[in-house]
Amino acid sequence: MQETTQPPQTPSPSSAAEPVEGNGAAPDQRQAGAPMIVFESVTKIYEPHVVALRDVSMVIDKGEFVFLVGPSGSGKSTLTRLLLKELEPTDGRIIVGGRELNRLKRSKVPLLRRNIGCVFQDFKLLSDRTAFENVAYALKVQGESRAGIRAKVPEVLGLVGLAHKTGSLPDELSGGEQQRVSIARAFVNHPPLLICDEPTGNLDPDTSVGIMQLLYRINRTGTTVVMATHDREMVDKMRRRVIALEDGQIMRDERRGSYV
Amino acid sequence: MRVKLFFSEAWRSVMTNLSTTVAATMTVLIGMFLLGLFIALGTWVLSWTGEVKKEVQVKIFFDTDATRDQINAVGSSLATFPEVKSVRFVSASDALAKMQERYPDLTSGLSGNPLPPSYEVQPKTAEQVDELAARFEPVPPGVESVKYGKKTTERILQVAKIIGGVFLIGSVVLLTASVILIANTIRLSIFSRRREIEVMKLVGASNWFVRGPFILEGLICGLAGSIIAVILLLVAKEAALPSILGRIESPGDGVSALSFPLIALILVAVSLAVGAVGSGLTLRRFLQI
Repeated sequence: MQETTQPPQTPSPSSAAEPVEGNGAAPDQRQAGAPMIVFESVTKIYEPHVVALRDVSMVIDKGEFVFLVGPSGSGKSTLTRLLLKELEPTDGRIIVGGRELNRLKRSKVPLLRRNIGCVFQDFKLLSDRTAFENVAYALKVQGESRAGIRAKVPEVLGLVGLAHKTGSLPDELSGGEQQRVSIARAFVNHPPLLICDEPTGNLDPDTSVGIMQLLYRINRTGTTVVMATHDREMVDKMRRRVIALEDGQIMRDERRGSYV
Repeated sequence: MRVKLFFSEAWRSVMTNLSTTVAATMTVLIGMFLLGLFIALGTWVLSWTGEVKKEVQVKIFFDTDATRDQINAVGSSLATFPEVKSVRFVSASDALAKMQERYPDLTSGLSGNPLPPSYEVQPKTAEQVDELAARFEPVPPGVESVKYGKKTTERILQVAKIIGGVFLIGSVVLLTASVILIANTIRLSIFSRRREIEVMKLVGASNWFVRGPFILEGLICGLAGSIIAVILLLVAKEAALPSILGRIESPGDGVSALSFPLIALILVAVSLAVGAVGSGLTLRRFLQI
């Protein structure tokens, strides 16, 4: 209970771990250059003996836009789920926004997740709630006031281009629109980190472009974006950092990479 | 503030999952109705056997020519026995008066009083009647015989024991069955919404934030189901009971079931507890994300 009653600005993931940066306001912490995600020799083995990640080390800086590419089963999803502490690594250290996840208490996991926006291939919207309510839920869980919800939700739904569909249920929206709702939900807290697991996997190419543009705009506000994807065309077009995984290992890590 | 949010979340979930809510409420309703019926019936029968057991007593008959000293000696020794609850002295004339009242034809021709004086001794519990009778063996001077209806008493005690056992086992079985049934309904309802729970956890809801509305929902179902069950029981009591009671011989004034408000209280408490604990425990599995 305790963590949920704290004001939302307190648990900014970077403030605790980097005293160097001082106790500055949130925008300062999004400067490029400081690490957002650190993996140190991370290994994840699904019992009994499926090795999903093998000795993975990498650093993703604040404000970066990173593609995670690789065939199915290469460990992309495992990596994103480790970041959310949905899974525990078998070995190694993971640091997200200055928090060492291995040492993070279970009771603090909700706090971590409120500072990481998540976008999934299957949208993961609550089917009995309208677009507005789905976005509002992410605010409600951290004790946001009604007034705050009424101000922030329309704003972020406007940002994703759904100002006219706030009252629609997920079933009444197209796939692209549902994904926009899910991005709005992920971004409404203005988290320093956005993790996207195949966000365009279920969408047609035209719709995907719209989603990518949206993510790109979010990235320009200073939010670090990590996106696992199969979408070769998109990766090649964006010319951003590409981390290629294969059999649970990093095969390639290029600053301005392409899919292959 | 938080409680208000829980209530609005719980209420929304009750309304959007109306069919599962109704199913859970009906399960509670049926379970609690049966349990209430059983408690009422069971406590009534138990109270009845208790009443019957109270009538078990030891009768000490004196010789018709027993002296006052002999009678008093038995009387004072009775006072020292720990099993004795109460003693009533029935003099020869009392006995005759009682006899005349009950069988006027039989006693009309009597010239004298052939009946002996006696003590009617009530043991503290019916089970002690044996011990008590054994204390008058060999019979003290002046006592003609000690009777306690050995066969009848044993019969009564045996039946009372069986009834008590059946009631106990029945209650446990019924209670367990309703708990399992209700918990199962809750589990199904939660299982059908495990995706929803996963999403809640992924956007950073704490366990209590997810759990609160679910538990409240369990409480609402439990409360609604048990209140309807209590109303139905009340209707049954008011409508059906008089016509049934009219047909069977009233066994005595002291016999009654557990009071209705108490039964109602038990039912509501049981279903509230099952609703809340059932939801809380079932959720644990799905919260491990």
